[in-house]
Formats: sequence, C-alpha cells, structure tokens
Amino acid sequence: MFSSAAKQEIEDIRTKYPNARAALLPTIYVAQREFGWLSSEAYDAVADLLNVPKATVRGVATFYAMYKQKPMGRHLIQLCTNVSCMILGAERLVDFLKITYGVEPGGVSPDGRFSLVIMECIGACGTAPAMLVNDDFHDNLTEKKLQEILEKYT
Amino acid sequence: MITITINDREIKLEKPVSVLEAARSAGIKIPTLCYHEQLERYGGCRLCLVEVEKMPRLQTACTLMVADGMVVRTETEQIADVRRGILEFLLINHPLDCPYCDKAGECDLQDLVEKYGPGKGRFKEKKRKVPESLQDPVIVRNMDRCIMCTRCVRMCEGLQGASAIAVINRGGHSHIEPFSSGRFDCEYCGNCVSVCPVGAIMSRLHRHSYRPWQVKEQYETVCPYCGVGCTVVTQVRDDVIKRVIPKLGSTVNNGMLCSRGRFGYEFVGSKDRLSVPLIRKNGALAEATWEEAITLVAKKLGNIKSTYGSDAVAGMASPRCTNEDNYVLQKFLRVAVGTNNVDTTARTGFAGAQSFIENIFGQGATANIISGLANSDTVMVIGGDPTTVNPILGLQIRACARRGGQVMTVGEFEGLRIFSPTKLLPRQFTETFLLEGIVTALREKKGLSGANAPLEGKIKSINVTAADVAAKSGVSEKQLAAYVDLLAAATTFSIVIGKETVQSIGGSYKLLLLAAITYLANGRVYLLSEKANEQGALDMGCAPDMLPGYRPVAYPEFTKKYGAVWHAELSEKPGLNLFEMIEAAEKGTLRAMYVMGENPVCNIPNSGRVEKAFKNLDFLIVQDIFLTETAKLADVVLPALGWGEKDGTFTNMERRIQRVKKSVQREGMEDWKIVAEIAKNMGYRMDYTKAEEVFHEIAKVSPLYRDLSYEDIEKGENIYPYKGEPLRDVKEDIQIDTSAVSAAAGKLYLKVERPLFHSGTMSTHAASLMNIYPHAVARIGAGRAKMLSLTEGDVVTVRSKAGALSLFIAIEKAGDDLSVTISNNFESKGAFRLADYTLDQVTKAPCIDAVEISIEKVTA
Repeated sequence: MFSSAAKQEIEDIRTKYPNARAALLPTIYVAQREFGWLSSEAYDAVADLLNVPKATVRGVATFYAMYKQKPMGRHLIQLCTNVSCMILGAERLVDFLKITYGVEPGGVSPDGRFSLVIMECIGACGTAPAMLVNDDFHDNLTEKKLQEILEKYT
Repeated sequence: MITITINDREIKLEKPVSVLEAARSAGIKIPTLCYHEQLERYGGCRLCLVEVEKMPRLQTACTLMVADGMVVRTETEQIADVRRGILEFLLINHPLDCPYCDKAGECDLQDLVEKYGPGKGRFKEKKRKVPESLQDPVIVRNMDRCIMCTRCVRMCEGLQGASAIAVINRGGHSHIEPFSSGRFDCEYCGNCVSVCPVGAIMSRLHRHSYRPWQVKEQYETVCPYCGVGCTVVTQVRDDVIKRVIPKLGSTVNNGMLCSRGRFGYEFVGSKDRLSVPLIRKNGALAEATWEEAITLVAKKLGNIKSTYGSDAVAGMASPRCTNEDNYVLQKFLRVAVGTNNVDTTARTGFAGAQSFIENIFGQGATANIISGLANSDTVMVIGGDPTTVNPILGLQIRACARRGGQVMTVGEFEGLRIFSPTKLLPRQFTETFLLEGIVTALREKKGLSGANAPLEGKIKSINVTAADVAAKSGVSEKQLAAYVDLLAAATTFSIVIGKETVQSIGGSYKLLLLAAITYLANGRVYLLSEKANEQGALDMGCAPDMLPGYRPVAYPEFTKKYGAVWHAELSEKPGLNLFEMIEAAEKGTLRAMYVMGENPVCNIPNSGRVEKAFKNLDFLIVQDIFLTETAKLADVVLPALGWGEKDGTFTNMERRIQRVKKSVQREGMEDWKIVAEIAKNMGYRMDYTKAEEVFHEIAKVSPLYRDLSYEDIEKGENIYPYKGEPLRDVKEDIQIDTSAVSAAAGKLYLKVERPLFHSGTMSTHAASLMNIYPHAVARIGAGRAKMLSLTEGDVVTVRSKAGALSLFIAIEKAGDDLSVTISNNFESKGAFRLADYTLDQVTKAPCIDAVEISIEKVTA
C-alpha cells in the first residue's frame, strides 16, 4: 500500500493527465521509489489506485529499461563503460567495485547497499570515466575518487 | 459513393472502409496475420502491404482507408518479395514444430508460408526458446510460436474487457503474459484462444487429442448454460465433442464466448453420467430395465392418482431441458395425470419478476435484444453482476462504457470495476429508500406523461426526500442528485436487473421502483436469466397457473380449447407452485413427484427442508443425466439424454427461439420420449417420433409460437413477437409487497455467489471448470477475517437457522464486513443449505437476503 503522502503525490500527478493510463509512467516511478522496486505489490498498488488493469501496468513498466524489475540496492550506480570511459579505465572501476563492494554489473552488493548498472554513454566523454549515483553526477573517476564518493552513500 | 480500383477492377463502395475490407468485399485476397475483423486495426504484421498509386511506399491495407479514385495493386513482384521477406523474418524464431503443434491444419502462418513464403530461411542463428507454459489448468502457452500480432491482447482488452494479458518486455524479448506470468487467473473466456492465428495460445482440453482435419462433423447449436443463448459450434470426432468454438457473425454472441460456454462441455461425456434406470429395492437404488422402470412409474402414478386424486401428484420441469421436453412434461401432468401442479425453478426469481414487469408494461416487456445494451447511452445495473451471471450480456455493458455510454450501478460489481461505473452504495437493507429517492427526484425532473395510469398512480404516491435518503442509506444528497441527473439526461436507457433484487425482502416493491425508473427514463428492462431455457420453460406452460403461451388455466375458454387439441378434459384449478409443492409434501397432501432435469434439493433455498419434504413423499421420480442429490432420494431414477445428445429448441432471455442440435450419438431416450412412454403406459397416447413433431404441436397449440417450424427458426423467424403476434397489454392493478428488514449491528449475513465458472451443479461435472474453481468456499472480507483471526484456507463452520456447512475460507481484499459469500454450485455445500426464506407475496420469489449466519473456525 502507498503511504498517504505518496497517494497525494499520485493524485496530483493524475490531475495533469487526461486519463489514468496516461498517468501510468510517473505513477510507476513513485511506486518504484516507495517499494524499492516493482514488486507484485507495487504493481497491485498502482493498479488499484489508478484503476488500470494489473497486466497493463506490468506491460507498460516492462517496456522501459529504467524501471526496476528486481530488488535493488539502496543506491544505484550507473557506470558508463562506453568507448571514452573504457579507454580511460572504466573497466578497472568495474573490477574495483566488485572487489571492494562485491557488486557485479546488473547485481546488488551483499549488504544491499549498491546496485550496479552498466550504461552506454551518459554524455560525459570529455570528463570520462563518469557515473551517476542515484541522481548525482560524478566524473573524472579513479579508483580512489570512486571509493571516496561511494563512502558518502550509506 | 466511392470508387476505387484494385488490380484493375473498379469497386464501388457506399461507406468508407479500409482497402483490405474493400478488396475482401470484391473477393480479392490479401494475406493478413494481425488483422481480425472483430478487433481494432493494428497494422503490425505488415503482410497486407499493397501498392497504391501516388503513394511513395507500400501501405498496410488494413489501416489505409479508401479514398475516391484510389488505384491499388495487391499482386506485384515487389509485394511478393516483401511478403516472402516478412514470412522469412517471422520464421527466424517461430519453430518448425508443425508436426507436433495442435494448430497445424488451421494455422494462418502455416497456410501463408505455404502460399507466399520462401522455401527455406537463410538464418543460421539459434531460435529463441521460451519453455511451454503448462502452469494454467485450461490454457497452454507456447511463446516460441508467438508472432506478436497482439490479437489476443486486443481481444482481451478491447472486446472482452478483462485486460488480463499484456505484451511484456520490448523488441525481440517481448511476449504475451498474464499478470502472474504463470496461471492466467482471468475470466477464462478463451477468446484469446479463438483469435490466436498460430499455436501460441491454445486450449488444453483437447491437447494432442485430434487434428483439425479429423473433425468430420460440426454442429451449430446453443450453449447449455445461461439465458443468453450463445451460438456455439461443437466439433465432434468419434462421438466425442472435442471442442466448442464460437461462430463469427452469430447473432447473439458474434464470435465471443465465456468460460462456461467454451470450456464447460465436458459434462457431456462425463463418466458420472447415468446410463441405466435405477429402482429403489430394499432401501437402495439398484439397476433395472427400462421396461421395469416405466411400468413401475406408470403403475405407481396411476395408483396414487386413483387413491388420492390427481392433485396428489406434481411435476417439476427444467430450465435446462428443451422446449419440447418441457412441453411434453406439462402436457403429461395436465392430461395423463390431470393436475396443474407443474412448475420450474424459474419460480425462484425469473418467473415472478417477469410477470410482475409484464403486468406493468405488457407482455414481452423483458424481451429486449441483448446487443441493444451496447447501443444504449445509459445502462443501470442492479442486483447482480451481469458479467458473471450472463457474461456475454455483460460484455455489451462493457461495450457501452467503452463507447462513452454511462454505466450506472447500485452496488459494487467486480466485473465492471475497471470501467469506472457511476455507482451508489447504499447501506445494507436500505436499497428501497434509495430507489424511492431516485424515483421522487426523477419524477420531479421529468414529469409524468400520462401513458401508463396504473404505474403513474404508484409513482405519485412515492415521496422521499434526498435528505431522508442520505440519513437512511448513507448516499449523500449530492451523489443522489448527480445520479438522477444522469438518468434524466438518458435518451436510450436500459436497466439490467439481477436475481439478488428479486430475491430480497420487499423484492416486488423494488421491482416496482425500478419499473418506475424505467418508465420515467423511457427505457427497456433486461432480467438476468441464469439458465438456458428459463424463458422457454415458462413459454411452454410449465407454471401452475398458465397453459402454453401464457393462457391462464382458470379461464374455461382456454382449458376447453387446449383440452380439445389434447383430447382430454383439463383441470381449471391452478396448481401448486414450487414452494407450495414443498409445503404440500411436508404436510403429506402431495404424494408423488416427477422431477425432470432439475435438482431441487440443491436449487431451492433451504435445501434441508426440501430434502425432508421429498423424503416424505410416497413416490419420487427423478429423470436426470447425473445422480444428483435429489436423484439419490428417488424411488425411480430415469437416465435421460442431455444437451449435445438430442435435438430441440431453447428460448433465450430475448425470447429468441434457437435450435439445439444433436452432436453425439448416445444410447438412451430424450426427456420427452421417456415421459411419452410413461404416458402411453398410463393409457394416454403420445406418438411423437422426433422432437420436431413435438414442436409442430407446440406451434399449433401455443398462440406465442403460432405456426412456427424448425425451418422458420433457422431462417431467422425466431425472435419475439414471432410472426407478428401482437403484444398483449395487460395493465392490471399493481400489487406489491413492502416487507422490510433492518440491519442488526455486528451481524453477518449470507450472500449467494453467482460465479462465472459454474452454473447450477451441471458445471461441476465439467473437468476444466472444476480445475478453475475446484470446491466450495466461504468468501469473507479482509476486515472481518482479521476480526475473526481467519486466514486463507482455514476450515470454518458456517451456521444459520436452517443448517450448517463446513467450508474453506477465501479472503476477499475488497469484500465487505457484513456478509459471507457462498456459491450454490457444489452439492451438499451450497449456500441454499443455509438459506431459510420467506416468500415475496407478489412475485412468490424466496427472499434470502437477510439470512443471519455465524462463522467459527474449526480447529484441527
């Protein structure tokens, strides 16, 4: 079930769209934030609140890559390994994350702290390697800098 | 007039249609996969690409609308190339498992590849593998075979309105799945199965048991379940019904079916079927010959008749039997026995409600075309979820909502929930106040036209203010006003009334109020009908006071007229109705009963009482296809041929007479034939050789069916009024029963579930329906369950004054806290075991909405 604050937020979202289906995408985002990932309960909650069939909600959500279809860590690391980042050592950073935090691409660290998703270019080639942690942007990464940054996310 | 040219042929069109439809209307074939005439256009498969002059690229014929002067080519080198290419692409992943796939032989893809496809593909990569899903009891999914035409999804969402399946994921990973990703957990209409062009979604019922080309015979007949009377096609191999499919273009259901209609046919060949007569010897039923059984019945009935008089015998006809069966039974009772004691379980709701409404609006007032609901601008629903009682009628209401019509309900109906109807939710037992409030407000808004004086007299006497309604029912003045505004604005209004209203205390008064709303909003009435031939049984005169064609027995001119045709003197004394029969059996004045195709112990409220009454009879004859609870009490059990094994007619709730056809051969006699044999043994000859002859006689006797023949029916002369017989306008003074009851705090009440997956007890012999809904449960709201610390699957004892049941608990998230819902489909576990009743004084329907119950957990 949604918290009453989330319910209010969804109701506000709903007013911006002509019908319930149109409000699905932002509502699924709220559900993802509230439930951590799109569990069966999260889908149920969205379907109940918007009065849209469950199967339709799931169909819409699975179309997009940015929705979380499995449990995720508390913080999401989106690390780029595309050409520029790769040349400047992004793959070493991937190994570093695995050794230091035990998190593999597409996986969650055993303590549930981090999830790692490998990105295809986040538009920061000039200051590569780069990553996003949740909504924060970080660039010019080295192993040391990466660790310093991540220590801030508990 | 639009003129277009396709392949150098000029085609003239009245209306703008798609290029595909224009071509098909002229007999020009364009291959398609994702197109389906019932469904919304999609343009996804690209097979219907055509060349259109002055258009730079190839166009999809299914989505392109014709324009005057358009020049189209459908068979060019370029198009052949493209078709070959598309099919080659589809076959990258579609497995070539045709020898093993059930769809082979009726697979669109197979046919198209054979006709247009490449000889072989050039792709060496491995095919996508998705394991076959057998997690569902009824539907099997093979997503390897799916070609993503989305016909199933468009069907489920756009026509069925269940939205139970969706496209999951994207691009090459996409496939079709129900929400659970395993079991479907849906309405199980199977309409996705009908539209799947390949073998991706198929029925499990006939899996690997035959090939489409092995079907030698198929019969267009009528579904045996509810009063909608959908056309179904039975496909038969070696005298076994292998599959039931709908027919595109059929009048009532146009290619749609529900779970019962599509998957409920397995009772026909069930191993529980009765095949030899049984006679009670030394307290137990033992097998006997037909001769023994028939002579015994004739002798016993003869004895009882001569000792105690004709009225010591009664008969029960059946809304499951054909018109012919029912006609012969009532004739047998009236002529060979000499009594008007004949009735059906239609008396438990449909019969009384119909005659009540007809008394106000005239005969035939409830005979309205089902598809008219979809074209209404406003539909009001009360007293039952039409999507479970009469699913195909329910679809029409959903269609109305989808077309932008107003769907309004009193009460919450799960099947309409996602269509967001405008609803009023009065407190328990306050529906009457609410309806009075609606009538008062609607009268003030619309005024009276003076067309129906008796009804207007009643309407004038109703005066309940919105404030009163709010205080009593909890529906606010604002809500009520908005609701009435919508009713007043309706131009084509329909009202759908379910049995719960009829079977409630003060039911006839509620019906009057609903009739008033109908009258004020100038609408039509639909009465939900649970069984296939309720209407027909009544038309046939299976009522204690009416001869075939609703001619009252009490009028000597009618009894004389019918007597002359039947060569007998008929009794003018109205007989006992269903409930009076039970009372008379209890008192011992009724000595013998002939029950045909009915299971009264289960289907009449207060089963325990019925059972006791039946045990009190001297002689009980039960004629059925299964050894029902009632048959187990019988002195003689006569096995009959059932649906699918005999010819005849059903009359649906629209009063459409339709042919029921024999699909499989089985040894035995039809119901009418058994009755005729007994009549013969009692000295009254009934020399019918086939059902059609019985129908000839019906058409001769009944003014309703005047001169109709089987040929007329097949030609479409089958909808009321038949051959233009005028309506009889019988406006008599309107009687009502204004009994009322008020809710006691904290009490639990019984609610009867009318499930989608079962109908009567017949469906419990259909294996697939049993897989979907396997046993009786007591449904309870989550709040109440918590209060009683019950969890899903707990065993409880539910008790009422009438009896007790031991059931599993099922928790309903959205259920209310005032009731426990139990279905009446499982023998000895039916809700009617608990349902003590009082009768409505006017409709004579049993009121079972105020049965107090208690619930307690059984500790292991």
